[in-house]
Amino acid sequence: MSQIDNPTLSASVETVSSYLETAFTSVKAATRFLENTFLNAPITIQIAMVFIIIAIVTTALAYISILRNRYRGYRTDKKLARLCPRIDNLLIDEVLSHPSLQQHVPPDEIQLNIAPFEQLPLHRRWARQALTGRIIHFRRNVRGNIGLLLRNLYMQLDLDNDTLKKLKSRHWEKKVQALTELTSLDMFISDVTILPMTNDRNRELRAAARHAYIKLSKNEPFKFFDIAKEPLLMWDQVELFRTITSTENIAIPNFARWIIYSGNKSVISFCLKLVVYYNQHNAVPAILRLLETKDHYLRADAINCLGKLRARIAEDKLVALYSHQPIPCQIEILKALGRIGSGEHVEFLKTEFLHATDFDLRKHAAKSLVRNQWVSDHPGDELLSSVSQENLRILRHCMNPLIKY
Amino acid sequence: MQSIVNAISHIYQSTIFLYGLVLLLVYAMLAFFSMLGVRQYARQDNDYQLDVLAGSGIVPGISVLAPAYNEGLTIIDNVRSLLTLNYPRFEIIVINDGSTDNTLEQLIREFSLQEVDFAYHIKLKTQPVKRVYKSTNPAYSTLVVLDKVNGKSKADASNAGINAASFDYFLCTDVDCVLDKNTLLELIRPVLQEEKKRVIATGGTLRIGNSCEFDEGVMTRMRPPRELLPRFQEVEYIRSFVLGKMGWSYINCVPNVSGGLGLFDKEVAIRCGGYDHTSFGEDMELMSRMCRYAYDYNIDYAIRYVPKTLCWTEAPNTLEIFKRQRIRWARGLAQLIHAHFHMFLNPKYGKIGMVIFPYNFFFELLAPVVEMLGLITYLLLALLGYIHWHNALLLLLFVYTYSIMITTIAILWDQLTFRYYKTWKEVLFLCMTAFLEFVIYHPIIVYFSLRGYYNFLTGKRVTWGNMQRQGFGKK
Repeated sequence: MSQIDNPTLSASVETVSSYLETAFTSVKAATRFLENTFLNAPITIQIAMVFIIIAIVTTALAYISILRNRYRGYRTDKKLARLCPRIDNLLIDEVLSHPSLQQHVPPDEIQLNIAPFEQLPLHRRWARQALTGRIIHFRRNVRGNIGLLLRNLYMQLDLDNDTLKKLKSRHWEKKVQALTELTSLDMFISDVTILPMTNDRNRELRAAARHAYIKLSKNEPFKFFDIAKEPLLMWDQVELFRTITSTENIAIPNFARWIIYSGNKSVISFCLKLVVYYNQHNAVPAILRLLETKDHYLRADAINCLGKLRARIAEDKLVALYSHQPIPCQIEILKALGRIGSGEHVEFLKTEFLHATDFDLRKHAAKSLVRNQWVSDHPGDELLSSVSQENLRILRHCMNPLIKY
Repeated sequence: MQSIVNAISHIYQSTIFLYGLVLLLVYAMLAFFSMLGVRQYARQDNDYQLDVLAGSGIVPGISVLAPAYNEGLTIIDNVRSLLTLNYPRFEIIVINDGSTDNTLEQLIREFSLQEVDFAYHIKLKTQPVKRVYKSTNPAYSTLVVLDKVNGKSKADASNAGINAASFDYFLCTDVDCVLDKNTLLELIRPVLQEEKKRVIATGGTLRIGNSCEFDEGVMTRMRPPRELLPRFQEVEYIRSFVLGKMGWSYINCVPNVSGGLGLFDKEVAIRCGGYDHTSFGEDMELMSRMCRYAYDYNIDYAIRYVPKTLCWTEAPNTLEIFKRQRIRWARGLAQLIHAHFHMFLNPKYGKIGMVIFPYNFFFELLAPVVEMLGLITYLLLALLGYIHWHNALLLLLFVYTYSIMITTIAILWDQLTFRYYKTWKEVLFLCMTAFLEFVIYHPIIVYFSLRGYYNFLTGKRVTWGNMQRQGFGKK
């Protein structure tokens, strides 16, 4: 009774009871509406009423979601805007400017001062993630001992535990994130963990696992070429190419091995690009064998590769093949003769330039003639004056240093 | 007699009800698919991947085509914007389509251009190309300028650009559009990531740049337009690109890749005859022909969309210019349906014949006609006293709330993924526009569409027309 006497409490009870009354009246009104209006309305109107309610509720929820998302994003940005400069300063002071680095002390022997990092709110996952992100960012921009020191810091702060947890996640995007982090920091992952992922059904995970495998496997980094069942997409090739060509201390095999034996055309095509990058002249016999393939896209890739390798040994075979090739392969042969630039097939190129019916063939023949220095060595004024207007324009196009393509 | 009237009335009501219901269900379906599409994109989006792509030497080259007609006011900033694109292998081909102002002179002066003998091969017939220019400044080595006789259409200029293009893919844009620096990386990504299909075109989201801030052709601050008419268009673009095209993209049924921003497979585009210079909707027309070509030659194709905003365009801010634009679009749609009607409900053309064309026919072409007929019937019945006002208002409220819901969902997807605009007030401002769109903007669109159809039916002569740009940041 004494509590009821309390004026604040009694006012609250009154307010609650008035709310309840209002709610009760609303429910009654809704029931009345349902009985009188909704149930008696035609079906179209009933559907319309239902949709009106759905639309209003959905719109309201959408507004709430927009505001909530913006607020959360704003808070995250604010937190990161405060934290990231602190992290960056610490990384610069404690790692990048570490005095031992100047004295060429091996990174494993350098004692990092972890204490300032422990001042960061690392009990929060978002802060740990931000720190990992900044370490990776710095590591991508430095090489040598500083990179190793950043990796040591990552391990000493136990940030790898978070990454390993993500690697065990059921969500593929978490696994991809984990693999990217581990790859960026050159962390060891066992082959048994990665290899199954290189053939995963999810394309993103498959690609990330392949990169990780090449970068991190201590045994045979290109082993997955042997077991790759799915084609390597152009996107995968771009990423793999970058990974292979930017990984330090990787044992580069002779890619002719896959050019000869792989049943996966995309792997062969990719190996041809790597052969060019690593200038593997010992792969030329394997590539010459590939000219017999029935797939003319692959054949065009092989011809392109021979041209880029400047394989003079292939010139005669290419010229002999020329007449019964589809246009893309013929173009590649003309380009290859230009790249090899031995000057031995100038007559062939000249004939193609003057007599081919296809515009692109004439253009590429002209380009290769220019590359063979035919124009400068043998100005051939007589010929220049006798060629058609169009051919003359093609020739001038190819000779003009301002025009690249 | 009464029974016949009743029967007709019943059929009419049922047809309209069914029509409306299917349309609303299609929108609901698009909202759902676009959510899946945008989520999928967001999961795969990764700046590091773009860095890898930007530094790669094995990516396919892209030719950027920018037709220009009397763009003297903005041409320098716009070409500068194109030159900042981030991609390892590309060229920019500006096609001066016989401008009568000083567009060409400005280009020659600003970019140190010199006339060159260019091996220009006419694969697609266009008005003659008079001269080709290249820059003597190595900083602009990617720039090619074609000077051609005016072809009275963007299609003709674009075709000339395709003829001069060196690479296997071309990006078609308007020279007055400002592109995001990563546009080429974003648009080529679906092409490289596709597992089994051949991606013949990719599109990206366009936005209205009227109130955005630009610095030398680079967007520095994104804002929704302050003026009402461009703001309506911003809302319409978000709905159309983020919800509509992303939804269609998810089920590989994209009906159109916008002329303002689209990446195309050059071989397929040339084989199907390039842009049609007689069409008023040349972008949609090309897309239909490319799809048709793909079906005729058994190419398992895909058309993809990127929900990220990659292009800002200047929207008409006066009713007169807006009217010209929309009449042209409506006429283009009518032309398209007429020219390719044999694909309509033709199973030989798969999704384009059974989904895209019926959708375009019933819900794009016929929608303004149905709305106008509905309005006339409504007024007639109101005059005769046959309207049950309570139910009529409920139905109107239903359509109104539903349209707001769809627009808000489109803004939501956009916000959840990209959080464009700096302040929440700007977003709210945009959301509120949806409340007015139904009562102000939509009737105007319907009217202009009907004018476009009328012009199509009567064959009224209309030219490409100057859009009277004001230029970004110069208002």
